[in-house]
Amino acid sequence: MGDSSSSASYIRMVHHLIEECIVFNMSKEECMEALDKHANIIPVITSTVWKELEKENKEFFEAYKKSREEKASEKETRQRIQEMLLDSSRKDTNNDD
Amino acid sequence: MLAVSPLRNTKDHEREEEMERFSIGCDDFPEFSTGNFLDCIDFDDLFVGINDGGELLDLEMDTQILDEFSVSGEESEMNSSVSVEKLEDNSRKEEDNKTSGLASSSLTQGDQEIVSKIDESVAVNSSRKEADKCRKSSAQSKNLQGKRKMKVDWTPELHRRFVQAVEQLGVDKAVPSRILELMGIDCLTRHNIASHLQKYRSHRKHLLAREAEATSWSQRRQMYGGATGGSKRYVSPRLAPTMGFPPMTPLHHFRPLHVWGHPSADQSLMHTWPKNLFPLASPPPPAWTPAPHPPPRQAPDHSFWHSHYQSVHNSLAPGTPCFPPPLATMRFPPPAGPGIPPHAMYKVEPGIGVPSGPYPPFDFHPSKESIDAAIGDVITKPCLPFPIGLKPPSVDTVLVELQQQGIPKVPSTRA
Repeated sequence: MGDSSSSASYIRMVHHLIEECIVFNMSKEECMEALDKHANIIPVITSTVWKELEKENKEFFEAYKKSREEKASEKETRQRIQEMLLDSSRKDTNNDD
Repeated sequence: MLAVSPLRNTKDHEREEEMERFSIGCDDFPEFSTGNFLDCIDFDDLFVGINDGGELLDLEMDTQILDEFSVSGEESEMNSSVSVEKLEDNSRKEEDNKTSGLASSSLTQGDQEIVSKIDESVAVNSSRKEADKCRKSSAQSKNLQGKRKMKVDWTPELHRRFVQAVEQLGVDKAVPSRILELMGIDCLTRHNIASHLQKYRSHRKHLLAREAEATSWSQRRQMYGGATGGSKRYVSPRLAPTMGFPPMTPLHHFRPLHVWGHPSADQSLMHTWPKNLFPLASPPPPAWTPAPHPPPRQAPDHSFWHSHYQSVHNSLAPGTPCFPPPLATMRFPPPAGPGIPPHAMYKVEPGIGVPSGPYPPFDFHPSKESIDAAIGDVITKPCLPFPIGLKPPSVDTVLVELQQQGIPKVPSTRA
């Protein structure tokens, strides 16, 4: 039986898939969902492998987390600015009338 | 063969030697005795006033030491003897005319003298210090026996002139002798220029390769939706940073990047690592409208970078030392590179809701098709390289964890 090797290769595959998700800048939860939907991988497996990867690559994941947070806050700021711009332009047109 | 004592293999040994000969340093800098010469030395103190862009110097010296030893022994020996004469002349001139033009001051580090070339403006500002150091160095040059390496101090100003000269000639055509002529600086030898040119060229290749990689990654992610076969051929980043430098130590070709690029410490390398890997943060789309129009520019850019990347990669010899953590030294300079500005410009469009770009979306979910394609690929082609190359977890640990969570077997069939 190739149980151990098939387990190893399965885990390797999940690892690979998680890396792909990271390239897409997904969170752990998003990754679990994606792998579940697209590759029929039980979320628990995804999350376990993710956690183990995190342990082995602490610095990377810390940086990843920070980068995601930064982007989220940037996005939020941008949205606020856009709203402000929209608002001010609406007010301008109202004033023009 | 060099007349000077041969380059020792270990840095420590060098440092020990240095310490013996470092007549100015020993009393003033007690930490030298610990043997952590390079760690303890505060280069700013040594070079205050000589160059304001101090970062270029310090590490360069090491590299130049190794460089000159390994690249061309005899030539450098000849050059050294010629240069030493110049140096001594310069030293004498220096002491006579403190405010004269090009001043050279020497410090020793390692087994050889270090010559700092200073431009006029800097010389005027810091002539006293130079004179001091010159005096010290002439004392040292008498102390040293046979070590006559001319160390060029590549100040930012000097480097700028070098780059000007090179660009005038054309990078590929730039010949050291012509560069020397164009620069018109006496104290540089052809050999100094040659080694500097070599580093400059490799640095450029590196920059281009890294930018190519960065853009090609992000573009390839985007391309999964388009499912081109070509996009799968990228090489794992582990392989990419290898350099085709003959007998260089890893330390050597780690540092030129440090020196030539940004003078940031190692920590910042780590910080910039994710930016390189992750979808680029610079031109975030205000609101990304999914799929229907992947920017047309993307295709030509992608193929350009792809082929460029391939050719750059092929020109690097594999098997030479990699950067120590392979990805940590990949840098993504903020004003990125040729591939990026077009995208950046694309972003600055007025109006809201304009898709800015070919970057993998990071403020919304990637399309199902692209995920599906990516995932499908991984499943069907298990031997493909990992896009990030994280250290894999131990299989046993994972299995144990899973068992604890109620999953006895892997792969498990889904209910």
